[in-house]
Amino acid sequence: MFTRRDLFKIAGVGAAALLIAPGSVKESFGVKKISIDDALKEHLGVTLKDLKESNLITVKAPTIAESGANVPVQVKANIPVDQVEALYIFADNNFNPWVTKVELSSMNGEVFFATRIKLAKTSPVRAVIKMKDGSLLMAVKEVKVTVGGCG
Amino acid sequence: MARIGRAIVRVPRRISKGQVFKVQMVITHPMETGLRKDKKTGKLIPAHYLTRIEFLFNGKRMTTIHSGPGISKNPYFAVMMKATESGTLTIKYEDNKGGKWEKSLKVSVA
Repeated sequence: MFTRRDLFKIAGVGAAALLIAPGSVKESFGVKKISIDDALKEHLGVTLKDLKESNLITVKAPTIAESGANVPVQVKANIPVDQVEALYIFADNNFNPWVTKVELSSMNGEVFFATRIKLAKTSPVRAVIKMKDGSLLMAVKEVKVTVGGCG
Repeated sequence: MARIGRAIVRVPRRISKGQVFKVQMVITHPMETGLRKDKKTGKLIPAHYLTRIEFLFNGKRMTTIHSGPGISKNPYFAVMMKATESGTLTIKYEDNKGGKWEKSLKVSVA
């Protein structure tokens, strides 16, 4: 049988657990989310402001993705492939926004890359193309995610 | 689960000279981010993902994909390739735990 005293004890333990819980959750995660600006700086040395949207690149991705674990993304560009150094994909709201870097060569014939990516939540998906002359071109597609795919 | 590192590569059966064709591949790999928890034990599942996928044609580097945990489980990749001559397409890929694999296939250009 529960006495009044027991009830207080249980309530007390519960309250203490609640107080500790948020801290331990943060600790167990340890790593902080990387912002899109930091990711761009790390891989391209620029921030979001410096990137210009270009209509030469097209990003094909679903407007609404049922599952964030598997989002097909296709990047195409109307640029001769020998002028391109690398193609990047970023997803703003992911834990680490950098998704991939693809180095192409003239043997590819055209600028094209397709894959499937994970999205933690609704996020713009960015394709950035780095040209051999150092300039950067970007295209964005907003993808709505109903169920996240990172954890 | 199927064996990690198994890959299926697909190219068109008939390729004519000068044609730009699609090379598609799927690799069996868990692509763990290292942030997910095991529901039974409550422990973090260690990160395990592909870091690099290289496409070589007749020994010459065609494409390099640097990937990370942001790529889906059992990753799919597709790139284009220009048919200049017949030869061997070799795909080398590796993960962050030191796993290394290689897959080759013949590409015949008519």
